[in-house]
Amino acid sequence: MKKGKITMAISLFFVCILFMAVMFMQFKTIDETDITAIENMRETELREAISTWKAKYEELEQRLTQVNTQISEYNESIETDKEASEVLDKELDSSNMLVGKTDVEGEGIVVTLADQEDYVRGSDLLELVNELRYAGAEAISINDIRVTNMTYIAEVTDGYIYVDGQRTTAPFVVKAIGNQTYLSSSLTLKNVGFVDKYTNSGIRVTLEKQKNVKILKTNQEMSVKYIEEVVSK
Amino acid sequence: MNKKQVALTLGIMCLLLTVGIAIQVRTISNTNSTVAQTLTENGLRDEVLRWKERYDNLYSQLEQAEGNLEKVRQQASQDDTSASSKEDEIKLNNMLLGLTDVTGTGIIFTLTDNQGVTTEMVTSIDDDISYYLVHDSDLRLVVNELKNAGAEAISINNQRIVSTSAITCEGNIIKVNGEKIGSPFVIRAIGSPELLYGALTRPGGPIDLFNAKVITDIKKANKVEIAKYTGIISSKYMTNVEE
Repeated sequence: MKKGKITMAISLFFVCILFMAVMFMQFKTIDETDITAIENMRETELREAISTWKAKYEELEQRLTQVNTQISEYNESIETDKEASEVLDKELDSSNMLVGKTDVEGEGIVVTLADQEDYVRGSDLLELVNELRYAGAEAISINDIRVTNMTYIAEVTDGYIYVDGQRTTAPFVVKAIGNQTYLSSSLTLKNVGFVDKYTNSGIRVTLEKQKNVKILKTNQEMSVKYIEEVVSK
Repeated sequence: MNKKQVALTLGIMCLLLTVGIAIQVRTISNTNSTVAQTLTENGLRDEVLRWKERYDNLYSQLEQAEGNLEKVRQQASQDDTSASSKEDEIKLNNMLLGLTDVTGTGIIFTLTDNQGVTTEMVTSIDDDISYYLVHDSDLRLVVNELKNAGAEAISINNQRIVSTSAITCEGNIIKVNGEKIGSPFVIRAIGSPELLYGALTRPGGPIDLFNAKVITDIKKANKVEIAKYTGIISSKYMTNVEE
């Protein structure tokens, strides 16, 4: 009888140890599941990074092809002793286009900001321009004043806004050329997009997609006084 | 009776053991999936790096090609005054677009998150810990002020500000040109040092506003170097209007 009890006690002891071991394993499992959740998040982020790099790479490829074509065109004109003016004009045109020295057209959107309970602020316009750039806008204008890389927006008193030193007032018609779908979908995100955010803050925002948006050239003199090119060694 | 008891105990032990094994098996299969996860992630990480490397390689090819382009352009237009003025304009345009490394007089302005503030110190109801951080809107404000004061080239943490640059906030990081940057934010600007300095330090100006919250530092410099934009300014959707 006594022997049986001892056996029983020993077996129970072993069962307890087994139990604990199993529990520890269980804890480890839970721990690892948590890590998996975090790593999942990272995976999407990584996938996003890959697609961004791919897109940038493709743009780069296109630019490289363009530059190489231009080089061979110049070479051709040098060899045949013909004037290079045609090639040069073409290059200058596309370079002027990027700077904002030419009138341009293309698909895009037109966003109108109007005063309602609140004035349209200079900072609202700054944010809109930033959002449009983020969504890939290639050319932007505010009330037909071209927004270039040098453009600033200054608010002097309520309602008076200066864009590149030119006074302009509401309603502000902001035109942008770029992929219609990207531009409009990034501005119309529910609640956090520009349209919802600013409609809720008391100004009137309307957005219209257009097949052919025309944007005028800058009327500023685009020159430099202080910067100098660093000559590469 | 005694035998029955032993049988029962053994039965329970068997059951526990089975459960234990079942859990064990699950743990192992889970561990496997974690390993697999790490593997795919490492794979992805490698792929990101590969793409970045491919980009950098192609970019250096492009740099070389642009150099050649400049040479042949010069060669093709050297005997022609109207051609060489066009050539100069292209060069100027590239400078305006931010496609060349540039240098000149200007300022260097640094904005740093206020690390000295903790959540415990923020007790008032209109106070918020996020006031003590530098935000994307702060950087946009500074860039706009600098342009107003005539800055000809601007960079934030070596990201050149070009006509397509967006400054955005994604959670706890700020992105410029799609690249992540963090505090301290070093903003370099080339232009008249006096005008740029004055624009930022005027009463009620950006530094006046920031000083209550974040840490600022500004200095004029005789030589500010600003690196070029290493992306492409594309024109897929716009075309010149024919006259």
